Amino acid sequence: MTDDVPVERVLRPLHTTTWKFLALLVLLGLGMLLFLEAWITQLRNGLIMTGLGDWGTGGGVPWGMYIGSFIWWVGIAHGGIAVSAAVRVFKMDQFEPIARIGEIVTLVALPMAAANIVFDLGGPDRLINTMIMWPQTVHHSPLAWDVAVVSLYLVLSMTYLTLTMRAELYALMDRVPRYLRPVYGLLLLGYRPEEDEKAEQMAYWLAIAILALVPLLSGGVVPWLFSLVGAQPGWFGAATGPAMLFESLASAIAFVIVVGAAFRYAYDWEFIDDAVFRGLTKALTVLSMAVLWFLLHDTLSGVYAAPVQDEALTETLLTMPLFWVAVAGITIPALYMLATIVRPSAYSLPAVVAGAISVSIAIWIKKLIFVVEGLLYPTTPPLANLYPTGSYSPTAIEWVVVVSTVVIAALLIALATKIIPMVELDPEEI
Amino acid sequence: MVNGCGGSTDGEGCGCGGGDVPTNTPVPDGEEQPAQFGPPPALSGPEWEEWAEEVLAETDFDTELGKRLARDAYRIADGDLSKEAFQRRHGDRVEAEFGVDERPTKTTLESAASIPRVPDDHEQSRRSMLKALGAGAAATATAGLAGCLGEDEQTMATTEESNGQLGMTIDVENCIACLQCSEACKEENNTSAAVHWTYVFRWAEDEDAEWDDDHDDSMTRPCQHCTRPTCTYVCPTQARYKREDDGLVLTDYDTCIGCRYCEVACPYGVNYFQWAEPTDEAGGFDESRTDQHGDTVAGNPPEGVMGKCTFCVHRQDSDDPDLVGTTACEDACPADAIHFGDITDPDDAPQRHLEEKSDSNTFELLDEAGNEPNITYVGPEPSSSATPVEGPVSYEEMDMTEHRREEIDARWAGGEADD
Ligand code: SF4
Ligand code: SF4
Repeated sequence: MTDDVPVERVLRPLHTTTWKFLALLVLLGLGMLLFLEAWITQLRNGLIMTGLGDWGTGGGVPWGMYIGSFIWWVGIAHGGIAVSAAVRVFKMDQFEPIARIGEIVTLVALPMAAANIVFDLGGPDRLINTMIMWPQTVHHSPLAWDVAVVSLYLVLSMTYLTLTMRAELYALMDRVPRYLRPVYGLLLLGYRPEEDEKAEQMAYWLAIAILALVPLLSGGVVPWLFSLVGAQPGWFGAATGPAMLFESLASAIAFVIVVGAAFRYAYDWEFIDDAVFRGLTKALTVLSMAVLWFLLHDTLSGVYAAPVQDEALTETLLTMPLFWVAVAGITIPALYMLATIVRPSAYSLPAVVAGAISVSIAIWIKKLIFVVEGLLYPTTPPLANLYPTGSYSPTAIEWVVVVSTVVIAALLIALATKIIPMVELDPEEI
Repeated sequence: MVNGCGGSTDGEGCGCGGGDVPTNTPVPDGEEQPAQFGPPPALSGPEWEEWAEEVLAETDFDTELGKRLARDAYRIADGDLSKEAFQRRHGDRVEAEFGVDERPTKTTLESAASIPRVPDDHEQSRRSMLKALGAGAAATATAGLAGCLGEDEQTMATTEESNGQLGMTIDVENCIACLQCSEACKEENNTSAAVHWTYVFRWAEDEDAEWDDDHDDSMTRPCQHCTRPTCTYVCPTQARYKREDDGLVLTDYDTCIGCRYCEVACPYGVNYFQWAEPTDEAGGFDESRTDQHGDTVAGNPPEGVMGKCTFCVHRQDSDDPDLVGTTACEDACPADAIHFGDITDPDDAPQRHLEEKSDSNTFELLDEAGNEPNITYVGPEPSSSATPVEGPVSYEEMDMTEHRREEIDARWAGGEADD
């Protein structure tokens, strides 16, 4: 399908900037200001500005929205590039127009995940010690593992993106605005046209490595962060890994749908056609169903044969409105998307985009509940009953900061469209 | 300066037991030690003489003096010789011989332990200490001991007996829920409002609203200083660690990054994060904030850092022999419910009290969690349906609050943190 991609159209965002785009920048910039205000307030006064607290006599939760958002972003990051890798490895040519979007989503999501850790720690300087101590802590600290895999993933995806881009950038050199040439020169450092075939091969194997890593990372290291902490009921579960993997992939595909649709709308990129979105919709439907399926498992086993504390936890979960918002947020779009598969005429891109947004928000809520629930009903009896049940109400600052990561991600993606082509082009055609 | 034990802030203390540990050599659990790192032969025999001479020959120190020091240092450790006598006998010569302190004394416990700074059983701990003694020149070890003794015998005792484990026997039957321990802890450690490093649970088995002296029970809950401290395993910086000398689980305030992982990984709920700039609740903490190894571990932690009961580490490392082996809560308890000391020592308070109460039920909290807590409770264990009750006196009545969130919010509303 690459042949159908009009090079001119793909390059247009690099050359022309509309007033709509500028308006978007201003809007996102204002969001950034709000974010800075909130973050600086938190930096100056400490984590007291959040709704977090100590469990135990304090009746609070030490981890909240920041950690929840962290796992959400990590999931999106893991899934994003997996989409692109799958397109390459399984030769799903039809999806080529969205392959790079997947890569960009990953590259933007990873720093957002890291940012949430920084928010949670209270400041960027806090990360340094983790790095220094890493060689000593990596054999016992799940957080150290996470630092490792996030870095590894970042390196892998940057390498992957660069490898898949170089031949194209080289061919484009003369067709991009003058001020971009130094940037391209940098990305093309040491490039020789003979390397193309090699690079193509390397990209292929990298793609396989990435696909192999995803279940291990999203379905492994991240859930282990929690499930290895036996102290809190609700975190331990053999199915947490697989469940998280499906959540990651679902939210990543939802992101790709949203970003892809935004590009199609903003840049008139009709070549990201309905067939692509229908395919993505199918994938999202299956993944959403899987997410629901795991949710059902968790809840059922929590209500029936669970130890006392897990049971209490699950029962309260069922009375939490937020939990049902999450369930509905996945179920309704899943049903609609299912309908579009059964009855192709039911398909409408705006509705699919709305569904994708709903699914990703619902998954965010699910992550938040996952982090917080174990801490609201911490430890086991008798201590569980002797301590007060926890409560958590995030402050405005937490909300602003967390929502801001989406704004920052949007800003980064918008800026990226002005630097590199967002759709893979065939160097031969340029 | 002779590397001292108590309150020394340079390097890692006196090197007792640490000596000249081969650096950067992780010691996997249960691995056989290479021959040259083997423990010294038994003290009395000619083998020991030979061994000591061999080791000392490799150093610049006086061989005879080294041997004598070593022998006497062991005698001190065994309690056969007093620090004063040691000092009288060797003080001057030690000064002359080791006056300029060039001994490599930085212990490398971090790298020597498979889990943060400490092997996870006492045997292992003892072995690694012996290994350290064997590996380092005997002169270093003995001079280290001598250095310690010059400063403080008590620290030496705990350091030398590095396989000890500080812990408590807490008597539910004796506890009268007066909250004195909680209050004393706050004053001693200057903890922030609503932070209770030791907290008194008061519970009833049948749901009655009123406290009933005859039926209802209470017990205090400090950090359990676990043998398998889950809090240390998860710490990404090893700020939370188990001190090899005496089994204290401590937080290095300088390296803690405030991730609160230890807090979620501990099943006992004993951790209190410093969410805001600490307030001086009790006129400040004026004990030494650094322990014998120079790590900042005592008193109310700074903002953004994790705190919890330290078993009054500043007392354990104190120069004042009256304070060593005591905690503020134990001192304050009017009902003789708290018995603090080395739980591995049959003559120390925890075991003695267990002996006295040998007819009573004993239990450990959350046994099934597998943390191997070092606090043994005597008396009836709260059942899994125990409910909290208002005790004879409440935290509010004692001008303490239990409600952190409310306290924080109130402080916030009061405009203490401007902006
Ligand atoms: S009680 Fe908790 S904080 Fe204390 S040593 Fe055990 S696990 Fe660590
Ligand atoms: S809060 Fe501090 S002591 Fe606790 S795990 Fe994190 S870095 Fe370690």
